[in-house]
Amino acid sequence: MASQLKVDTITGVTTAGSISVTGEGNSTTTNLQQGLAKAFAHITGAGFTLTDGFNASSTTDGGTGKVTLSYTNSMSNTTYSTGGITYNRAAGSSNAEGGLTTSATHYQLVDTGGNVSDIGGSQQLSTFTFGDLA
Amino acid sequence: MASELRVNTLKDASGNNSIATSFVAGGSAKAWCPLVYSSGTPTAADSLNVASFTDTQTGDAYINYTSSTASTNCSCAGSNISTSSDLGVLNKTDTTARARTIIRNSSNSLVDSDRNFQLHGDLA
Repeated sequence: MASQLKVDTITGVTTAGSISVTGEGNSTTTNLQQGLAKAFAHITGAGFTLTDGFNASSTTDGGTGKVTLSYTNSMSNTTYSTGGITYNRAAGSSNAEGGLTTSATHYQLVDTGGNVSDIGGSQQLSTFTFGDLA
Repeated sequence: MASELRVNTLKDASGNNSIATSFVAGGSAKAWCPLVYSSGTPTAADSLNVASFTDTQTGDAYINYTSSTASTNCSCAGSNISTSSDLGVLNKTDTTARARTIIRNSSNSLVDSDRNFQLHGDLA
């Protein structure tokens, strides 16, 4: 029978911040909260415009090839895991993205191409964050 | 009391922001970790579904899962944890039980450098 649940908040019974979800193979479970991305951001242009995002409040120029992304809601520590990719249209290449986790409130993204003068310009940058919210 | 809820769709209390539970399971990361090097074998500063690491050579290691994936057709991502602009991370699935992670510098040399790993796909 099809079913639909309407709620604003889902909380674990045994531990509020821990809910198990059955995986696609119908045998293994995974932790819902741990598996959810805690932030994503799509950043474009020389002004580091935050064109779309979730739990992403602002961007600031971090110097050549670097931009700092601030979270709306902070992480609980600095051991979160970030990933993403940059697209450098001017150089005609797509570069992997480096991330330096320095703070629970923000982190710095680095274009690993190393040969671009500005991560903004004609580039797009996509990034996401996994870890624990404060 | 432990409980189990079986539903097809989640919505907020106003009936908006509908999402099928298949997207909740399918869209969640099945593994992630920051790998930190202080000696030859990396350690996880934090993690989901990562049991251990197998160091194979400088800059090259296997990430062993706690729960295996259904196939090797999973999507790997990551980044280096550094402000250096000459480090390239290569993350790939190896078997359903592990992924492989490599970092090379601009001289194409393998280096033990901190990095991130994320995995999306189906669990077994």
